[in-house]
Amino acid sequence: MKDGKYAYKCEIRSCIEHSARPVSTLWINMMARGGSSAKKSAIGQRIIGVLPYVKQEIPVMIVFRALGFVADRDILEHIIYDFDDPEMMEMVKPSLDEAFVIQEQNVALNFIGGRGARPGVTKEKRIKYAREILQKEMLPHVGVSDFCETKKAYFLGYMVHRLLLAALGRRELDDRDHYGNKRLDLAGPLMALLFRGLFRNLMKEVRMHAQKLLDKGQEYGLDAAVKPKLITDGLRYSLATGNWGDQKKAHQARAGVSQVLNRLTFASTLSHLRRVNSPIGRDGKLAKPRQLHNSLWGMICPAETPEGAAVGLVKNLALMSYISVGSQPAPILEFLEEWSMENLEEIAPSSIDDATKIFVNGCWVGIHRDPEQLMMTLRKLRRQMDIIVSEVCMVRDIRDREIRIYTDAGRICRPLLVVENSKLLLKKRHIDLLKEREYNNFSWQDLVASGVVEYIDCSEEETIMIAMSLEDLGTEEEKTYCNTYTHCEIHPAMVLGVCASIIPFPDHNQSPRNTYQSAMGKQAMGVYITNFHVRMDTLAHVLFYPQKPLVTTRSMEYLRFRELPAGINSIVGIACYTGYNQEDSVIMNLSAVERGFFRSCFYRSYKDAETRRSGMQEELFEKPTRDTCQGMRHAIYDKLDEDGIISPGMRVSGDDVIIGKTITLPENEDELEGQTRRFSKRDASVFLRGSETGIVDQVMLTVNVDGDRFTKIRVRSVRIPQIGDKFASRHGQKGTCGIQYRVEDMPFTVEGITPDIIINPHAIPSRMTIGHLIEALQGKLGANKGEIGDATPFNDAVNVQKISNLLQEYGYHLRGNEIMYCGHTGRKMNAQIFLTPTYYQRLKHMVDDKIHSRARGPVQILVRQPMEGRAREGGLRFGEMERDCQIAHGAAQFLRERLFEVSDPYSVHVCNLCGLMCIANLRNNTFECKGCRNKTRFVSLSRRLSGVGARIQHEDHYHIPVCNRSQRSGSEGEQACG
Amino acid sequence: MGRRKSKRKPPPKRKNIEPLDTQFNCPFCNHEKSCEVKMDKPRNAGRVSCRVCLEDFQCSINYLSEPVDVYNEWIDACEHAN
Repeated sequence: MKDGKYAYKCEIRSCIEHSARPVSTLWINMMARGGSSAKKSAIGQRIIGVLPYVKQEIPVMIVFRALGFVADRDILEHIIYDFDDPEMMEMVKPSLDEAFVIQEQNVALNFIGGRGARPGVTKEKRIKYAREILQKEMLPHVGVSDFCETKKAYFLGYMVHRLLLAALGRRELDDRDHYGNKRLDLAGPLMALLFRGLFRNLMKEVRMHAQKLLDKGQEYGLDAAVKPKLITDGLRYSLATGNWGDQKKAHQARAGVSQVLNRLTFASTLSHLRRVNSPIGRDGKLAKPRQLHNSLWGMICPAETPEGAAVGLVKNLALMSYISVGSQPAPILEFLEEWSMENLEEIAPSSIDDATKIFVNGCWVGIHRDPEQLMMTLRKLRRQMDIIVSEVCMVRDIRDREIRIYTDAGRICRPLLVVENSKLLLKKRHIDLLKEREYNNFSWQDLVASGVVEYIDCSEEETIMIAMSLEDLGTEEEKTYCNTYTHCEIHPAMVLGVCASIIPFPDHNQSPRNTYQSAMGKQAMGVYITNFHVRMDTLAHVLFYPQKPLVTTRSMEYLRFRELPAGINSIVGIACYTGYNQEDSVIMNLSAVERGFFRSCFYRSYKDAETRRSGMQEELFEKPTRDTCQGMRHAIYDKLDEDGIISPGMRVSGDDVIIGKTITLPENEDELEGQTRRFSKRDASVFLRGSETGIVDQVMLTVNVDGDRFTKIRVRSVRIPQIGDKFASRHGQKGTCGIQYRVEDMPFTVEGITPDIIINPHAIPSRMTIGHLIEALQGKLGANKGEIGDATPFNDAVNVQKISNLLQEYGYHLRGNEIMYCGHTGRKMNAQIFLTPTYYQRLKHMVDDKIHSRARGPVQILVRQPMEGRAREGGLRFGEMERDCQIAHGAAQFLRERLFEVSDPYSVHVCNLCGLMCIANLRNNTFECKGCRNKTRFVSLSRRLSGVGARIQHEDHYHIPVCNRSQRSGSEGEQACG
Repeated sequence: MGRRKSKRKPPPKRKNIEPLDTQFNCPFCNHEKSCEVKMDKPRNAGRVSCRVCLEDFQCSINYLSEPVDVYNEWIDACEHAN
């Protein structure tokens, strides 16, 4: 333990199920040798406890005494189960010595109360306070009612015992990163938490309302007291912003809990729904929580995680993992009680040592003499789904002599096939039943219920023996590695998550490539959902002719990748040809592109509503007219229909109006007294994005929740692949289009086949994406054979030699190479080219959405510097690093031009007397400095004082007040100072 | 002119262990934080006195005692006297 103060720490975070109470944490720590602790007691390491709401560490023995266990022997019985253990007895001695002066329960309670309660209260109150802390706040999961002291003492003793074992080196320290020690929050518990908080607020409000009225002596009615909006608005706020918790305490609440579901491609949607977020600060230097942990096997995908700041903190569930929803522990407790478990209250402490301790949801409930038999029964019950729900986890720790049962929510589990006597319990008849599930309704649930499949969580997984495949189980004659298997993997490919399951042959790739592809697969275009034509998503890409891949994994079937594909089987050559595919660019076949290769459709939806505003302001969809409407932009309003909304089929381009909306101006009579008002309305129309064009695809006009008129308009545009668009295979091999050649310029084979895409061979060796090559080969075989090739990982039945041999039978080169002829000259090329069908994806990044330049354009209102960002037609930032370069280069005049003259030049006149800015009227050349009453002596600072930004800063300083006085060097005037 | 960094920083977390008070309100003159405690560890005696009204109290202490304990004892003694 790094913490200098303590040698060992034992922490328990305890909470009551289904309660809004915060988690209460209790520490039992062993002080480090030497240091500050040495002065207090004799030699040795003391053990102290940190109790909730108590400001100081309390020697653990005092806690025991406060619980009513006063005699040394009584306490020791709870900590050390075997008195013939001299080492351990020695370890607790310093603690006993320390607490020697406190030998009564009341004294101990007073001691604790004195350190918890405010100073200056009476003894009775202190004792009461301490009692309440012990009862209500310490270890609430053990119990918060009266007479829990025995159980709490046992639990406390157990904690000390574990601490001592660790201190003596008899057991290893607990692993914080073990997923068995973690719990995931699902939508249900999160919503429940939110609701509970809001409901409590509501009750508080009702109570306050009633109190107020009752104090006044009035009667109160429930309808006035209950504010129904409170809960609705609270839920809405959290769901809209993702800040989970009270709006007032937004910074304490968890951010990013609710997210907008990603609809870019179907796989990205599925993947988003299986995402796991670790609430650890992104800037944390600790590498441990980001690393792949052994306990994640089969639960969380080893490949799918973002790169960068969130690497390893954002995870994705594996295909078959399941998160427990929680069940009642009561039936299990009842069962244990019947099944000769000895309750903690009734046993003699001496009997603990040779019995097995039973924990249910982290709470020590009793001991048992025959753990073997008990576990057998428990397991049988779970498999029959009798009393025990299938997601309950049961661990028998033989070494520690413990049985731990967990029924709580948020544990990750995964299904495994049950093995008994080296045989699967899953039989042929189950499979037959499954095959006819349309008629007999036999489902996965029935498999679980019949005890053939079992859900195992991270901690239980370590107590079972899992065979990787059926073959590992072996037959009776064969000698196998092990004959005590208890479970068998369903398929090793199930360790992967949604995005990694789309990669063919991921087991042949270098692992980071699978991670890259997992991120890239989410950006591929395809058919993101079957009803895309009626949906009004803000952004959507749909590929024109998506194809199901020639090479698939078996998992893809369940991910519906074949039904909703995101890519095209392209003929890919790996060649150096003309040099237009260097540095991860690709050469594309223009003729193919013209035939519709990787063409896609882009939809963007705009929305607006006639929101009701306060006062006289009224919003209205209509066609704004220049004679009544203020602030109309220089844009084409003519495309609007009479109702103010554009009609479908209309071609629109940058800055066209698509929704005409006006707001009536409030009549402020004081301003325009007598005059006739020129404008009665203000323009609030919606314009098309400046850099986009398209055709209005669909117009929806309806009414929203508040009863206001509401419209959504979808604009469509076809995106034809062009130079600069991004494409990728399924192996983290991405590249942009470098050039497009007509078919006659492409290399060709004897059969007349030309590639659709040519990638550069340099993309392969250093990246080691062998899976890419095997996919290509398998694709070539599949195309010839007329069937879909299998690329499921960890499948030894498919290998390169087998594919090669089969390919040779079709008259192709063993390894998929082809003799090719140069498209320009018709000469045979020097090298044979690896030319195969490979599944390629078009990624959403396209040049047309990125291209940007500016000579002049809009500026920010305040500082008159150029706007930021492409969407606002902004300038390109000449940042501080660029500035540094110019300074180093000695190009100061260039800097002046970049940072001043083309940014925010501004001229100001300064009074020669005071050095402050003055009123300047350039039209009639009159100047005045109000402070100095000076109307004659001024200097123009146009060439000296730079920028509106500087002027504003000066003005800001003026109000602080600090004056920035400008002076001509060598001229009259005092020192500049405010 | 760098942009101002966002001011959204979570407030510092309350620590589990914090130092106990060493100055207390006087039970006689009700003056705030006027009582100071002298702990004489070798002689096992704690003495608390008020700076303002010079009221004081003495009791025996042990090595686990803190100033709070002496003060609490004083309060109890007052309570007992009444």
